[in-house]
Amino acid sequence: MKKAVDVIKYLSRSMYWISGTAIAFIVVLTVCDVILRRFRMPISCTYEIVTFVGAIAIALAIPYSTLIGSQISMEFITDKVSGHWQKILYLTTRCLGLGIFIILTWRLFILGNNFKQIGDVTPILEIPMYPVPYIIGIACITECFVLAHSIFLELAKTEDKTIKR
Amino acid sequence: MSTQIIITILILLLLFLLFASGLEIGFSMLLAGFLGYAFLTNFTAALNLVALDVFRVFSSYGYLVIPLFVLMGQIGASAGMARSLYNFAYKLIGHIPGGLAIGTVVAASAFKAICGSSVATAATFAAVAVPEMDRYDYDRRISTGTVATVGTLGVILPPSVVLIIYGILTETSIGKLFLAGILPGILVAFSFVITIYGWSKVNPNLAPRAQRSTWRERITSSLPMIWIIGIFVVVVGGLMIGIFVPTEAGSVGAFAVFFLVALKKELTFKGLVESISSTLGIAGMMLILLAGATVLGHFFAVTRMPFIMADWLSALSVHRLIIMMFIIVVFLIGGSVIEDLAFTVLAVPIFFPLTLKLGFDPLWFGVIVCITNMIGIIIPPMAMNVFVVSGITHVSIGTVYKGCYPYIVGLGICLLIILLFPEISLWLPNLLMK
Repeated sequence: MKKAVDVIKYLSRSMYWISGTAIAFIVVLTVCDVILRRFRMPISCTYEIVTFVGAIAIALAIPYSTLIGSQISMEFITDKVSGHWQKILYLTTRCLGLGIFIILTWRLFILGNNFKQIGDVTPILEIPMYPVPYIIGIACITECFVLAHSIFLELAKTEDKTIKR
Repeated sequence: MSTQIIITILILLLLFLLFASGLEIGFSMLLAGFLGYAFLTNFTAALNLVALDVFRVFSSYGYLVIPLFVLMGQIGASAGMARSLYNFAYKLIGHIPGGLAIGTVVAASAFKAICGSSVATAATFAAVAVPEMDRYDYDRRISTGTVATVGTLGVILPPSVVLIIYGILTETSIGKLFLAGILPGILVAFSFVITIYGWSKVNPNLAPRAQRSTWRERITSSLPMIWIIGIFVVVVGGLMIGIFVPTEAGSVGAFAVFFLVALKKELTFKGLVESISSTLGIAGMMLILLAGATVLGHFFAVTRMPFIMADWLSALSVHRLIIMMFIIVVFLIGGSVIEDLAFTVLAVPIFFPLTLKLGFDPLWFGVIVCITNMIGIIIPPMAMNVFVVSGITHVSIGTVYKGCYPYIVGLGICLLIILLFPEISLWLPNLLMK
């Protein structure tokens, strides 16, 4: 169990680093383009690269944002119910979240396959589009792991208490 | 009642049930939109839609503007720019009644020129301004209430994240929206100043005067203000005259702030990593919200509910301002129960067709949405700024709320003024970006 937790944390942290680097790269590339444009030397493919790298940056930030608890939820209602109901609601919502991201992972890989078959590419640099849905899909798998981890953690808490009793 | 209306009502009920159960708001919108679309079309179409919408939102060049403007603010916050601004405002007007609190309003308005987040502004000033006000025996209600409320200026003064998201959702020019927010933002800031001045005149013990600074001290501390005005002019001015698009403006702003704080050696590598980390957390949350809203929006498009509602309400024989007041009440109630940004993402696509049908200006409606958001952020039960300030200053939530109430009156008056005089928000964009 501990190993699995370490792997999930490692995965989402790695994604976070890639995502952070991608954001920094976007800033530098865009600023260079804006400056060079003033000298009539624009970086012609900036739009495509930024869109491509931006998709990676945003997708890979999702598991990290869930892991650090950045996602917004209305906890003030669940805080008012008893501990038992809080646990049930927490597990139910984690399972619902897991369900959504399983569907997303599955359909994003299908979307990637479709792009690959059609041979969809960007207009200027002709970068294949299919890696983008695949990368978002990988981020969704990691999100599934993060959600599954929180379910196991909650269940483990229950087992712990039962053993202690 | 047609099947579409029944399904829409059931899906909306399910959505609020999911919100109440504690499921993340973005996830709730994804799920409800997916289920609704599956009911009205078919399951395979809904499966395809949900993946395609997420792909489109994540790979949209336009949506990248959000993390970039957030990054700009986070770097400024990590580098302690707020402290320098507060230092200047404090030296300028600290000696007048309520001067330290008024200084907080001035500094937060300036800080807002680089930081688009309301909560980040409140958190930053809770750490900077409250200890200073404590030093001069300010009443905790006025110190914490001021900090929680001035944070809301982040919602309306450019580069506001709420305005950016509103612009994306309604396809309204973000540059024009930024301009539309400036005068109402200044009006609101002015109402805060009047509130503090009046409050401390009535009860001088609440906010004792600080010592007067010399003009030399004032001038030497004004440098950060000049830098920030410079960055603001470059970012908003560049957008206005078309040198760059909003996403590029975000990059230029983030780079300019980074360059400035690096030059002044105010940002450590750890601070930079923390800024990027916070940015990614916020961006991940916002983009999931937008993906959820897009899926839900496609469901609403199939039901045609926003348009049916727009037709029905606009056909009523009541003045259009009364309908607008109804919309404002919905936003106030919704925004006080659900997190304000999330409610904006949910409700704007529903009410926007109606406001167009009634002949209201989209820029003006954006400003109205912002002011209702500002009120929602500080009224119970879901008052994010109050929670943040209470957490940082270790003052009870009740005390912070008590400090916020006088400002809500001012905000309400500003809302009424802007409702009756749309020119306040439309004058600048019409003058500069026709």
